[in-house]
Amino acid sequence: MNAENRIALLAAPGLLYLAALYALPLALLLTESLRDAEGALSLAAYVEFFADPFNRGVLWRTLRVAALTTLLALALAYPTALALSRARGWAQTAILVAMVLPLSVGVIVKAFAWSILFRANGAINGALMGLGVIDAPIRMLFTETALIIGAANVFLPFMVLPIYAVMRQLSPALPEAAATLGAGPFFRFFRVTLPLTLPGVIAGAAFTFSLSVSMYVIPSLIVGERQQTLSMLIARSFLFLRDEQLGATISAILLLIAIAVVLGSSWLAARVTGGRP
Amino acid sequence: MQPAAAPPAQVGGGARHLDVAAVSKSYRGQKVIDRLDFEASRGELVSLLGPSGCGKTTLLRLIAGLVSADGGDIAIGGRSVTRTPAHRRNVSVVFQNYALFPHLNVRDNVAFGLRARGREIGARVDDALALVRMGAFADRAVAALSGGQQQRVAVARALVVEPDLLLLDEPFSALDRKLRETMQVELKTLLWARAITAVFVTHDQDEALAVSSRIAVMNAGRIEQYAAPGALYDRPATPFALDFVGLSTRIAGRARRRDGEAVEIETPYGIVRAPRPGTAPAEGAPVLIGVRPERIALADAEAAPDENRIAVRLADVMALGSRTHLHGAAEADDRLLCELPGMAQTVAPGAEVTLRWRVADTLLYPL
Ligand SMILES: Nc1ncnc2c1ncn2[C@@H]1O[C@H](COP(=O)(O)OP(=O)(O)OP(=O)(O)O)[C@@H](O)[C@H]1O
Ligand SMILES: [Mg+2]
Repeated sequence: MNAENRIALLAAPGLLYLAALYALPLALLLTESLRDAEGALSLAAYVEFFADPFNRGVLWRTLRVAALTTLLALALAYPTALALSRARGWAQTAILVAMVLPLSVGVIVKAFAWSILFRANGAINGALMGLGVIDAPIRMLFTETALIIGAANVFLPFMVLPIYAVMRQLSPALPEAAATLGAGPFFRFFRVTLPLTLPGVIAGAAFTFSLSVSMYVIPSLIVGERQQTLSMLIARSFLFLRDEQLGATISAILLLIAIAVVLGSSWLAARVTGGRP
Repeated sequence: MQPAAAPPAQVGGGARHLDVAAVSKSYRGQKVIDRLDFEASRGELVSLLGPSGCGKTTLLRLIAGLVSADGGDIAIGGRSVTRTPAHRRNVSVVFQNYALFPHLNVRDNVAFGLRARGREIGARVDDALALVRMGAFADRAVAALSGGQQQRVAVARALVVEPDLLLLDEPFSALDRKLRETMQVELKTLLWARAITAVFVTHDQDEALAVSSRIAVMNAGRIEQYAAPGALYDRPATPFALDFVGLSTRIAGRARRRDGEAVEIETPYGIVRAPRPGTAPAEGAPVLIGVRPERIALADAEAAPDENRIAVRLADVMALGSRTHLHGAAEADDRLLCELPGMAQTVAPGAEVTLRWRVADTLLYPL
């Protein structure tokens, strides 16, 4: 056994822990979902799940919300990470604190704060009506848009930090070299900065997408029962419908999505780095 | 190896292709470049030589447009570029760490500048790679290249856009001595053949002497002397230039009196005479004497009238192969160094010897 393999042993406790508390229960769930009424191996539960247009709607909404949340978070996070990597001293500390501090405020606190802001007699509607922009309050709570905005807010740090981690490694000499070779700001950004920070973007997007696809608390608080997502459907199956097989089936679907995200993002990351370390 | 091209016809004195006039730059109130003047003629390869932190890289960055000057003017080809951003200056830079794009292979690195300017690529990239003898590596990842190979790619990338000016920031500092010397010859030949104006930054005096038609000795944000290598070596304008370029014997003393064409100086080793400078030092003024070590020999018989002689005890004898360095026991900050050709086996440390050199070879600086 060489040194590198021995180092890998350090991961053993963590892996055992994950196996006991993650892989094993998930495997049990998975087998549960693959049984029919008589206990024989079957895909019947999946066929049944996909046959229901409501379920398909929930799956589609879950994916759409996760994708849009990821996009919104990326749009906000990339410039932030860029600023973070260029800033020095107190400015950098201030941005980092602003990024990380909200993580310590629970999602519940945030969600209630938002409902004060967004509700019909809330601050935003009050301000808009006061200014005469609108006559009647607009509905902001319980919409998909509110969910996406809220989720992007909560997950923003998970997008910023991986991008920042890659960006700080980027030597400032590279965009400078590009400039001396005649590249203007746009060419420099799209041909040097962006390609070299793509691994961070991919990692951040994978994090955010995974978190958004499986989020439960945020949609429960912001959109409630009106617009279900997969996680809410799982909870409902287990807690209210007492249909363990349906819950297990949806869990397995969620797991497949997660696996697809992980594999897809590592494949993408390997492609963009082209074997670079 | 290609035959060495002839040096450019004009060495200085020609039309100023690069003209840096009274440029200043401060970082956080600290003057890094201080009203500096500098120029280079078309097709000339000049060096910036100076100790670490004297502002060489900053001056290159000012010329390239990567930082903006606080004051002064920079012109290239007769056109002021002081307000022109880097990407419109057509000034290529070979960075100290090469700054090759890690996500592009060798060919795409070289093609970058052509693509950025929307120019046709055609055979230019392959020609540029052939020029630096890297044609066989076109499809390699840049991470899979040695330091010397990366340096060549960086040169090809900088040249392929046909820059008005090429700036090189210690391009060979990471290479071992042998490779460095090979690269110096190659670069010099290549630039001369294409009549490219280039500024070469180094803190290695041998490198500066080897590659350039003129050397600017930089110290603390200013240029102390700007001269051809021979003149710089033979007639350093300041004690700093004397110390920084080549080795020297240096002795602190006091001016005594003028004796015709010479000035007499009182030193701890006796009276030494130097040619009278334009403005002779006042009697009793502190001065510094410099002599290049190979101008000094061991005295044998009679003293010639135009010679200086001092008696010293040898502190050390260093045989360096093709030459031998004799170090005399010196006072305080003085240095007594004599270089003899070959391996001098006749003298040993502790021996009392007399050093002699011509009065005409004595350099004199007011302190
Ligand atoms: N961006 C910067 N911010 C603050 N100070 C700087 C900056 N760049 C350079 N300096 C300072 O300016 C001075 C000159 O730096 P410069 O890099 O030009 O030196 P150099 O002559 O190239 O040295 P070396 O031979 O070590 O490369 C140094 O004292 C350095 O600390
Ligand atoms: Mg430098």
